[in-house]
Amino acid sequence: MASLDIYDLNVYSVPEGKNTVEEMAALAKRFGYAGIAITNPHDSCKPEKASVSKGLEILSGVELRVDNASRLHGLVGKYRSMVDIIVVRGGSENINRAAVENPNVDILTSFGSTKDSGFNHVLARSANENDVSISFDLAEFIGQRGGRRVRALSNFRKDLELVRKYDVPFILTANARCLYDMRAPRELIALAGLFGMNREEALSGICTNPQRIISKNRHSSKYVFDGVEILDPSMDVVLDEGDGQ
Amino acid sequence: MKVLPPTMRENKRYLAFELIAEGNISRDDLIREIFSASGSLLGDLGSSECNIWLFAFDNLKGIISCEREHVSQTRAALATISYVKGKRVSFHILGVSGTVLGATKKYLEGADISNPEEQSHINE
Repeated sequence: MASLDIYDLNVYSVPEGKNTVEEMAALAKRFGYAGIAITNPHDSCKPEKASVSKGLEILSGVELRVDNASRLHGLVGKYRSMVDIIVVRGGSENINRAAVENPNVDILTSFGSTKDSGFNHVLARSANENDVSISFDLAEFIGQRGGRRVRALSNFRKDLELVRKYDVPFILTANARCLYDMRAPRELIALAGLFGMNREEALSGICTNPQRIISKNRHSSKYVFDGVEILDPSMDVVLDEGDGQ
Repeated sequence: MKVLPPTMRENKRYLAFELIAEGNISRDDLIREIFSASGSLLGDLGSSECNIWLFAFDNLKGIISCEREHVSQTRAALATISYVKGKRVSFHILGVSGTVLGATKKYLEGADISNPEEQSHINE
């Protein structure tokens, strides 16, 4: 597992969290992460700039917290070109729906349970079509005990069924607000096992899917727009010679 | 007393760990918290299957032993610990080994305790 690039795409720093980006990065590095995305809420501060610090990739991100679906689309448009990762904090049916129907959204988090009109088969299908990942926020049961943890685990179990059936992309995160909230990758896999996620699925949630999200949003210098990119200039030379003969 | 034949012995795994903690943590407080966390997450039945035992603990590093087939549940139980006696902590399992010696040699000796708040200032 040491060779895999593991990411946590939903980490907070000051002012939303308690520790600075450098402190979070140092611990993430020690835990064996390849990168973290700092996703402070859009109304608290400017998004963190992407950088590489001591071998750990820090991605710029933002978490959108809105109570109005039409405002969400405006904010997504505004932040899309500024940050690598856009996370939407859901909760109500409208916001959840708006988030999974917007292909520019990367991750939907805190979408609530199936019972109180949170995540369901309609949203799952839409999330699959628009390639919006849903987030299994393990912090929802790490610090909890008793009834709340039981509910969180059983909700995740149901969500996982939908994820499997509709092939919804997903990520795992510890959603750390401070150093002591962070968990190492293997611990995340073990925690995900509590609600029935197997090792391969968990690995895709911390490794392959985050990587895919990042590469989707970070275009190479040859990118023009979707489906069009500049090919190697040496190919032109070959073509020109062919025309001359 | 006769020694138990090797095939009848429990098969254990030893988890070397470090604690990322706010301050110093006493052994007794940690033991209490580990049992309370595993009791809460896995219940009495699950805890008895896992057979979690704090083998050694000193200076925020230590070894926990558990039943061979239940390493993943043990990890999960440890990962749910976020407070020990009011102080914030986070478990970091450094590695798993079949012998105490292996766990100590491979994962604990020479490894220093992480203090991210200090580390991040070194290169500034």
